[in-house]
Amino acid sequence: MDPYQGRRSRRLLTALGTLLGLVVIAVPVAAHGGSLGAEARETVTVPTWLFLLTGGAAVGASFLLASFATDRRLIDGIHGWRRSIPVPRSNIPVAIIRVAGVLGLAGIVAIGYLGPDQGLGNLAVLAVWVGWWAGYTATAYLLGESWHVLNPWRTISCWLPSLDRDLPAVGAWPSVVGLLALIWIEVVSPLADAPALLTAVVLGYSAVTLAGAVVFGADTWFERVDPVSRVFHYYGHVAPIASAATATDADREVLDDGQLPLRGPGVGLTRPDLLDDASEVAFVVALLWATTYDGFVATPAWRTMARPLVEAGVPAHLLYPLVLAAGFVLFLAVYRLASRYARPTGETHLSADVLSRRFAPPLLAIAAGYHLAHYLGYFLSLVPVLLTVLGSPLSPPVTVPVFSLPGWFTGVPVASILVGHLLAIWIAHATAFELFPGRLQAIRSQYPFIAVMVLYTMTSLWIVTQPSIQPPFL
Amino acid sequence: MSTEPLDDADFDVPADADPARCPDCNRPFVREELLELHRGYDHPEALDETETTAFEEAYEAESERLNVFRLKALLALILLYFVLLMAYAVV
Repeated sequence: MDPYQGRRSRRLLTALGTLLGLVVIAVPVAAHGGSLGAEARETVTVPTWLFLLTGGAAVGASFLLASFATDRRLIDGIHGWRRSIPVPRSNIPVAIIRVAGVLGLAGIVAIGYLGPDQGLGNLAVLAVWVGWWAGYTATAYLLGESWHVLNPWRTISCWLPSLDRDLPAVGAWPSVVGLLALIWIEVVSPLADAPALLTAVVLGYSAVTLAGAVVFGADTWFERVDPVSRVFHYYGHVAPIASAATATDADREVLDDGQLPLRGPGVGLTRPDLLDDASEVAFVVALLWATTYDGFVATPAWRTMARPLVEAGVPAHLLYPLVLAAGFVLFLAVYRLASRYARPTGETHLSADVLSRRFAPPLLAIAAGYHLAHYLGYFLSLVPVLLTVLGSPLSPPVTVPVFSLPGWFTGVPVASILVGHLLAIWIAHATAFELFPGRLQAIRSQYPFIAVMVLYTMTSLWIVTQPSIQPPFL
Repeated sequence: MSTEPLDDADFDVPADADPARCPDCNRPFVREELLELHRGYDHPEALDETETTAFEEAYEAESERLNVFRLKALLALILLYFVLLMAYAVV
C-alpha cells in the first residue's frame, strides 16, 4: 500500500555522492512511491530477456535444490528449533507503548496541519512514511509483530463504548477492499507531498476505523476487517519472534512459560490455520499484487497502454481503480488455477481450496522481501531527516541531512528479493511435506506454485528494469 | 507429516474416483501406496506386521523413484547453469 518511497529524493541522494549530504527541505519527499519503484530500479547491462530469464531460473533452481531435502526429520528439526527469550512479567511496558502510539497519532495529526507544508520538512509525512511504513513495518517481519499493542486506534477504541453488533459473514473481503482502496489513494494522490492531505487521510481512516470498532467491537474489527492490522498480522508470521497472535503450536508452549519464542524466519507461515478461507487467501494475493501495481503504473509501458483509453475519453481517475481491480482478479485467478493444478500433479484428493490456503502463506515471505528491498534504502537515507525534524517539528532547519548510501548498497535490494523468494520456496516445501505422505508427491504438488512464482518474479523484474516515471494522466 | 486435523470437507473426491481410504481416519488417497505411507507415518501403532512391511516396501520403492528424480533434478540444474553461462557469454 501507500506512498512510499522517495523517488525524486533518492535520485537526489545519488547525485550528492557524499556520505552525508544536506538537502533543502523544499524538495518534495516523494510524491508517490511505487513498491517496485526507483529504489529497486537499476541500470541493467544485460539484455532484458536474459535478466528476466536469470531471475526466473534462480527461483526454479532454488526449488530444484530444495527438492533434495526430503528427510522429514531434517525438516521437522529445522522447523522445531526454538529458543526462549526471557521477558519481564509486567504490564507497564505495554501500557507505555500504547500511550506512545496514541500520542504519536495525535502528534502526526497536529503537525500535519500546523507544520511546514513541504513533505521533507514535515514531521507528519516523515513519521508516517519513513518511520512507520518503511521502518516500523520492517520490524514486523524482521523481529516480530507489535502492531496489536502499538496500534493507537485499538488503544483509543478500548476507551470507547462498543455496540458489539455481529459482523456479517463476509470473511476477509472487507479487508481486501480496504487494502485495495488504500493503495488506490496512495497511487493517485500526492500523499507524501501534501502534509495536510495526508492528515486528512489519517483522520478519514481514523473515523472509519473507530466507528467500525465501536459498532462491531474492537477485537472483531481489528482482527477481521482492518486491512492495516491484517498486513501486520501476516507479516508477523514471517518474523523470528512470535507473539500470542503469530504463534504456532511449538511457540505456544514457550509463551505458556511466560517467555518469548525465537524461531527460524518464516516458520510461522507453516501454521495450518493461518489462512481460514478463500477471502484470506485473496488478501495475501492482494498484498502481493499491490507491490506490482504500484510499480506498474509508474512504467512507460503503462502510459503507452493507458494513452488510447484516456484519449478515447475514459477518465484517468476511473482507469486507475479499474486496472487495480482487474489486475487483482487476474492474479487471484492465476493463483487459484495453480491450486487446482496442484491436485493432479500432487496426486491428492485434497480440495483446491485447502491447497490454496496452505500454499499462500509463503507468498508473504516474498512480499516482505520486496518491502525490504524497496524501503531499507529509503529508510536509511531519510532517517537523519526524521531525527533532525523531530527536534523542531514546527520550524525545521532549512537544510536537513540525508544519508547517502554507499555504492555497494545497490546489491541489498536484489539480495532481499532473493532471500524472500528462497524463504518462500522453503516454506512451501515444508508445507508440502506436512500435507502429503509421499515424498515425490510432496515435491510434485509444488510444480504449479513454483511456475506461478517464476512468472511473478519475471514480471516484477521486468517492472524493475523499466524506467520510472510519475504515474501519468493524474 | 499429514498429522494436521483435516476432515471430509477438506477433500474433494471426484464422483467416479475410487479412493483408497484410511481405515483409521477415513482420509482418501489417490493410490494404495500413498495410503500405506500415510498409515506408516500417522498411525504406526495401528499397523500389524503385514501392513508395516507394506509401509516399508512402499517407502523403499519411493526412495528408488526419488533417486531417479534427484538425478533428473541435478541434470536440470547443470543444464540451466550451462544455458545461462552460454547466454551470458554470447550476449
